[in-house]
Amino acid sequence: MSELTYLEAISDALRVALREDDRVLLLGEDIGAFGGAFKVTAGLQQEFGADRVFDTPISEEAIVGGAVGAAIVGMRPVCEMQFADFVACAFDQLVNVAGKLHWRAGLAAPIVVRLPCGGGVSGGPYHSQNPEAWFMHAPGLKVFAPSSAYDAKGLLLAAIADPNPVIFLEHKYLYRRVRGEVPPGAYTTPQSANTVRDGDDLVVIAYGAMVHAALAAAEAIDEAGVRVLDLRTLVPLDERAILDAVRDCAKVVVVDEANYTCAAGAQVASLIAQYGYGDLDGPVVRVATPDAPIPFAPSLERAALPGVERIRDACRELLAY
Amino acid sequence: MPQLGITVTEGTLIAWRRQPGDLVARDEAICDVSSDKVDTEIPAPAAGRILELLIEVGTTVDAGTVIATMEEEESALRAPSPGAVAVGGEDGPAARAPREAPRGDAERHSPVVMRLAAELGVALETVAGSGRDGRVRREDVLAAAQGSTTASGAALYVPPAAGRLSRMRQTIGEHVKRSLRESATVTSWIEVDFSAVEARRRALGVTALPVVAAATVATLAEFGELNAWLDGDAYTVHHDVNLGIAVSLGADGLIVPVVRAAQALDVEGLAAAIADLAGRARAGSLSPDEVRDGTFTITNPGQFGTFMATPVLNQPQVAILDIEAIVRRPVVVTEGGAETIAIRPVCVLGLSWDHRALDGAYAAHFLGALRERLQGVG
Repeated sequence: MSELTYLEAISDALRVALREDDRVLLLGEDIGAFGGAFKVTAGLQQEFGADRVFDTPISEEAIVGGAVGAAIVGMRPVCEMQFADFVACAFDQLVNVAGKLHWRAGLAAPIVVRLPCGGGVSGGPYHSQNPEAWFMHAPGLKVFAPSSAYDAKGLLLAAIADPNPVIFLEHKYLYRRVRGEVPPGAYTTPQSANTVRDGDDLVVIAYGAMVHAALAAAEAIDEAGVRVLDLRTLVPLDERAILDAVRDCAKVVVVDEANYTCAAGAQVASLIAQYGYGDLDGPVVRVATPDAPIPFAPSLERAALPGVERIRDACRELLAY
Repeated sequence: MPQLGITVTEGTLIAWRRQPGDLVARDEAICDVSSDKVDTEIPAPAAGRILELLIEVGTTVDAGTVIATMEEEESALRAPSPGAVAVGGEDGPAARAPREAPRGDAERHSPVVMRLAAELGVALETVAGSGRDGRVRREDVLAAAQGSTTASGAALYVPPAAGRLSRMRQTIGEHVKRSLRESATVTSWIEVDFSAVEARRRALGVTALPVVAAATVATLAEFGELNAWLDGDAYTVHHDVNLGIAVSLGADGLIVPVVRAAQALDVEGLAAAIADLAGRARAGSLSPDEVRDGTFTITNPGQFGTFMATPVLNQPQVAILDIEAIVRRPVVVTEGGAETIAIRPVCVLGLSWDHRALDGAYAAHFLGALRERLQGVG
């Protein structure tokens, strides 16, 4: 076992998949010789050839549409969006074609679309978004959002093996900041939530980069036991784990880096309100980015994103309730 | 008093900047207020004239409290006017706060608090809340349940709502209380070897009750003072034995139908009469005459295995016989002058009697005679 960054773990997953399964191919803009905008695919074209690691025109719709066609004829394409924000251009292929193909035509569309997402890197309004909720709302798509290097590799391999189209959110802020032990070779991470910190007084439910902010916030609270639940996959949503955590803790803070309205956390809060009502000892508190585009200016971006302090204060406020 | 922040619930007045009669522009500072974190100027919610200042400098009040009144601009020109608005009250800046943190409330409880209180038997009105504004939190309920838990681990019991006793239970209750109040009730017990009773009842195909009843009726012929009524000073010894048999009606209560002139019946006749009365008692079809005029009562709870009781006299009767469980016990028997230990069916008979009417020797003599008769039935 070796220690890899979150980014290296994703690269490793792609390499393992390309080695072990001839049906796997990568499509994306400048992912070949250039190695991709973030160098996730660096070296893969040299190793596996230009017909498996495929540079595409600058058309996200063509990338995803081509991948759906390849999947129908038996391939396992993995698409890279340079930034998650640009997936909007492929929205029709994902929502209306890939997500409905099985239901409409009885055909599986086992594609993976990798979305380098999230803020905290001064990327501004076009390079910082968290579009997971767009796809949670569209039936037929799965949505994964790992927080650790181990889960990034395990969930990407699980996504490639899955017969459904999967939106794979890889958080840019975590690429080189998070590292961890990653086993060599193939393994998959279950499509379920994971308790990453124990506690019985309050649970913070988060995913992706916000798991790390939640952990730091929990560490800052000595006076109570704060649990952190990492959702890992948003579709499927591990409802049992969420409701179990609510039953144990009675107080819940749900964190999204995405904009507040209709975010993944809103679905979590709604689930708790309907099925966890009898276990609640306070309001379901949400912490999210305000409903505004992400600012360029580092100071303004810090103010917009839910940082450790906001999560910590929300926890303290709710603990005192 | 405006809410000075989402989490700030009160403010302290530091200074008034305007006095009654002053004209102020909209958003002009009227006073300075301090929260626990910051000092703030409070702007006028509208242009107009200050009418009254309602709190003094140094006073701390909850957000939402009216601290001053003013009249709006137009009307300020034509005083006096009904157009007064409250400064810092519902119409103040606080009302415009888009989102407010949920308030704690000592009177209202969260779902889990109500559920745990019900499960653990915690009376919430007795729990001191440690949450915001005295709100009872989950941990308060758990602590209260812990604190009230006894050594055996049972939580404090909260009884369900009281109902009313049925009419039958009220009647029984009045009767037994009166009996215990009026009579000087004493109970004597005797142990009887039931070998002969068992043999006899098997031979006749009946229960032990009619066998014991027949022997009791026969013994009462020799001890007439027990087959009697005592009502105040009026003491009546009866010729006939009108034998009452206590019949349990389960949760509903108890009724005592009467076998009239029981001395005229043999064991089988008593068995038939008792079975008939008991059956109709349970069916609720006894006539009023069938529960009157008893002179002596037998109660027979021993079927459940108890071995001793202190029955309450069935007024105005002066005695009641209690038949307890027939249990196989080792007993000392004398055969041919030698004592040995044998296994015998044994029953304890208890006689409650009224010390006003008779004394212990008489009751003991009766029980001894009854035992002799029961041990010799054949």
